[in-house]
Amino acid sequence: MEFLQNNLLSVILWLPLLGALPIFLLGKRFEYTAKCIALFTMLIDFGLSVLLLFSFDFQNPGFQFVEKRLWIDSLNSYYFLGVDGISILFIPLTTLTTLLCITISWDSIKEKVREFYLALLFTNIAIVGTLCALDLLLFYVFWEAMLIPMYLIIGIWGGPRRIYSTLKFFLYTFFGSVFMLIAIIYLFLKFGTFDYTKLLGVPLGGLTEKLLFLGFALAFAIKIPMWPVHTWLPDAHTEAPTAGSVILAGILIKLGAYGFLRFGLPMFPHAAQEFAPLLLLLSVIAIIYGGLACLAQDDLKRLIAYSSVSHMGFVTLGIFAFNPIAMKGAILQMINHGIVTGALFMCVGIVYDRTHSRAISYYGGLASVMPVYATFFMIFTLASIGLPGTNGFIGEFLILLGTFFTNKLLVVFAALGLIIGAGYMLWLYQRVFFERVNPNIEGLAPLRVNEFLSLLPMLVLVFLIGLYPKLFLDYMTTSIEHLLNNLRF
Amino acid sequence: MTIELNFGVILSEILLLLVGCFIFLFDRFFKNKGYAFWLTLLSLLIASGVLLISPFGGFTLSYQNDFFSIVFKFIVLFGAFLVVILSKNYLTYHSQLNYGEYYGFLILSLIGAFLMLSSMDLITMYLSMELMSFPVYLLIALNFAQQRKSLEGSFKYFLAGAMGSVFLLLGMGLVYSATGSLFFMQIAQSLFGKAELTYVLLGFLFILAGFSVKMSFVPFHMWAPDAYESAPLPITSFIASIIKFVVIACLIKLLMVAFIPLKAKIGQILIPVVLLTILIGNVLAIKQDHLIRMLAFSSIAHAGYAGLGLITGDLIGYSFTIFYLWVYLIMTIGMFSIAVFLANYQKDLLYIPKLSGLSQISPGLSFLTLIFMFALAGIPPTAGFMGKFYLFIGLVKSGYIWVAILAVLFSVIGAYPYLRVLKFIYMEKTEETFSYRWEPGVWFPVSITAFLTLLIGIYPKPWVDMVYRTLYLYLTFLFYPY
Repeated sequence: MEFLQNNLLSVILWLPLLGALPIFLLGKRFEYTAKCIALFTMLIDFGLSVLLLFSFDFQNPGFQFVEKRLWIDSLNSYYFLGVDGISILFIPLTTLTTLLCITISWDSIKEKVREFYLALLFTNIAIVGTLCALDLLLFYVFWEAMLIPMYLIIGIWGGPRRIYSTLKFFLYTFFGSVFMLIAIIYLFLKFGTFDYTKLLGVPLGGLTEKLLFLGFALAFAIKIPMWPVHTWLPDAHTEAPTAGSVILAGILIKLGAYGFLRFGLPMFPHAAQEFAPLLLLLSVIAIIYGGLACLAQDDLKRLIAYSSVSHMGFVTLGIFAFNPIAMKGAILQMINHGIVTGALFMCVGIVYDRTHSRAISYYGGLASVMPVYATFFMIFTLASIGLPGTNGFIGEFLILLGTFFTNKLLVVFAALGLIIGAGYMLWLYQRVFFERVNPNIEGLAPLRVNEFLSLLPMLVLVFLIGLYPKLFLDYMTTSIEHLLNNLRF
Repeated sequence: MTIELNFGVILSEILLLLVGCFIFLFDRFFKNKGYAFWLTLLSLLIASGVLLISPFGGFTLSYQNDFFSIVFKFIVLFGAFLVVILSKNYLTYHSQLNYGEYYGFLILSLIGAFLMLSSMDLITMYLSMELMSFPVYLLIALNFAQQRKSLEGSFKYFLAGAMGSVFLLLGMGLVYSATGSLFFMQIAQSLFGKAELTYVLLGFLFILAGFSVKMSFVPFHMWAPDAYESAPLPITSFIASIIKFVVIACLIKLLMVAFIPLKAKIGQILIPVVLLTILIGNVLAIKQDHLIRMLAFSSIAHAGYAGLGLITGDLIGYSFTIFYLWVYLIMTIGMFSIAVFLANYQKDLLYIPKLSGLSQISPGLSFLTLIFMFALAGIPPTAGFMGKFYLFIGLVKSGYIWVAILAVLFSVIGAYPYLRVLKFIYMEKTEETFSYRWEPGVWFPVSITAFLTLLIGIYPKPWVDMVYRTLYLYLTFLFYPY
């Protein structure tokens, strides 16, 4: 028990590896066992990450559950983990998403089953590692290692254009992160450490700081993705299998925004402030552009993918407004987007498994064929629009409120994005679920148990955050104040 | 000056030479050629044991056993050990090649590599480089029975090597006329405090050109794809990993010991060469459909990456270069073991599109390929990433940020060919199937290299330290012996 208390983050991080080992060693005949092992592992992992939530100290603005061991001493690099109010919520979100990815793919993945669950477990390790790592080298290793399982998930189990999409995804993100690598090496050589907490206070400034910030920002902007480097996202999200889309939309693209919050702003405060107007502008462009692009789509997944571009625009807007309320909203919006978009991708995956079509025009009148499913979809649609009472409302409201203090004009344009959002989501709902029943979809099987169980936690979270956001906002308050205070020196 | 004749220090070479001669002389008396394999393997093991206990010191002024040579001979022995094991398996399936001489030539080449690592004057270095290369030309040509093209590959390699030798000799002549000596230490002494270096620099550039052929630096890289493709696969891995390792290690020795004042200058000159090597290797690898040709171009690019450590002209950069070569040696031998496995079952499996759906047939093999491919592409947590990471650290440290940025950008291009191989293996389907057996001749080298690839990727420290300490101690003992 004491071991668990001292190494909780490491246990959460490496537990999936323990589960991966028997799956790896099992023969081809044991696919069902492999699935069960993966599910069981992620259940425990999720349980532990909830335990992490409960043992978090709200008043402490610094890092908690810190583990620091020497890794490469000639480079002064440590195996250094820790979470604070900014990152803590993402860890249960990640483990939950992976868990639900396992349940939603229970029947739909039919070939290379063991490999699929292995890839999911490794993705989970890489993402949790990225979220906890406080040593820049360790962070980079996890950040890059994430590409390997994602490359396979999209490329092996994806749709018809999966190979093009996965190569695009890989090369695009790889291109972005190599500049970050050079920036990290520069920081190390200048200050002799990879330790994030030590690098926070270092004096930079001038051109160096700007260039370093840009090095990091390119990697993060591609991952988020911000306009105009978003072009990999519609392809990757569309062609990925359901679980792949859920992971991509649910957590992977949040890592870019997390990177800005964790590294971009605190390490390069002056450069961040200098570039903020540009990034704010790009955010608003992303909001409007993403929304308009959604209106033109006839592909369910592509539409939701573009809506991600729009929603992530809100997140970056909240981050670069440099306002505690907006920043809280941004983090909450990341969680919301992870839940809602993840759930929407699951919903699309559910009908795709039955019909193998993603075209909106293929559907129609689905509400009378799959009523329970239609209810779920309706709630997630409304949450995506930001209806009061759902989580989407809280996030977007906080972002707009906070940004209003700093830049009123931008809020006007961003709010326009909300209206477009309502437009494309409701129109989508109308075309797919109402109108005449399309003969293509008559007699579709109702929701299966695993699908119902995968959607249910998301539904609960939609209302939990929507009705009682304090529960989640409390985690961030101290850390965000701390962050913003440091920005204004 | 006394000339020492201490046979103790040169014992491992003598041993290998005796074994090589035995194979050449008595091969006719053995019906079953398996003896040569076991004899070679045994002699490699004994040679490593002898190396372990052999004393430091010189054998005449031209040969010296020291930290540098012993540690790097161990690396070479490790690589050769895997190559020999691989050869046994390869020869079982390609019986036209099954001569005792195959191992004899391999041992001769190995002696050349050993002598080159120990050489202390230019003539010995030149001769041992030829000793290392000639058996390899012959080994490629030996493949003639099953692949007509091998004669072309062998001849190309030979001509390129001959051209390199001409450059090397010319350079040695220039250096001799400028310094009056061919011994490293004496060259160093005569260059000490000397202001006018143009003549020596010119000489060294020719030497560098001669070495560039073996290292496959642009513009001396064109022999590589043909030679690689036509050689027996274990020999290809030998050319790609061990010969490159030895030649670059010796180049570093030259720069550290003999031509000290030229270090910085040579580094400057190498910048465009190295960058072009990386770029051309990576770009040309994109369109290759033959796995071995792809690996040949990737090998060119990797030689370029290793060359990044030479730019800075300091001990740290050199040790990173050698570390990278060590990592590359592991990855290459691993990848070629997989190629041997494929070639054993179906020759045309070496065409990348034919690899479609390999993961359905052999998930284990595909997974190992995955490790090596991502390692070659330089993605963490594999050794390939750590090797590149250290090289970039060396570059940024000396202020060559722009070189590092260009190199890192080229590595994005370079990722594509490896991803393409994985694309076929994992993302395409196949109807065909073939049955296979995991034989120790393949799984031993593959698993040991895959394990090292991951181990070094996760915990690179002891290996980097080892290389750095070797170079450091070597220089300390050479210049400040007590």
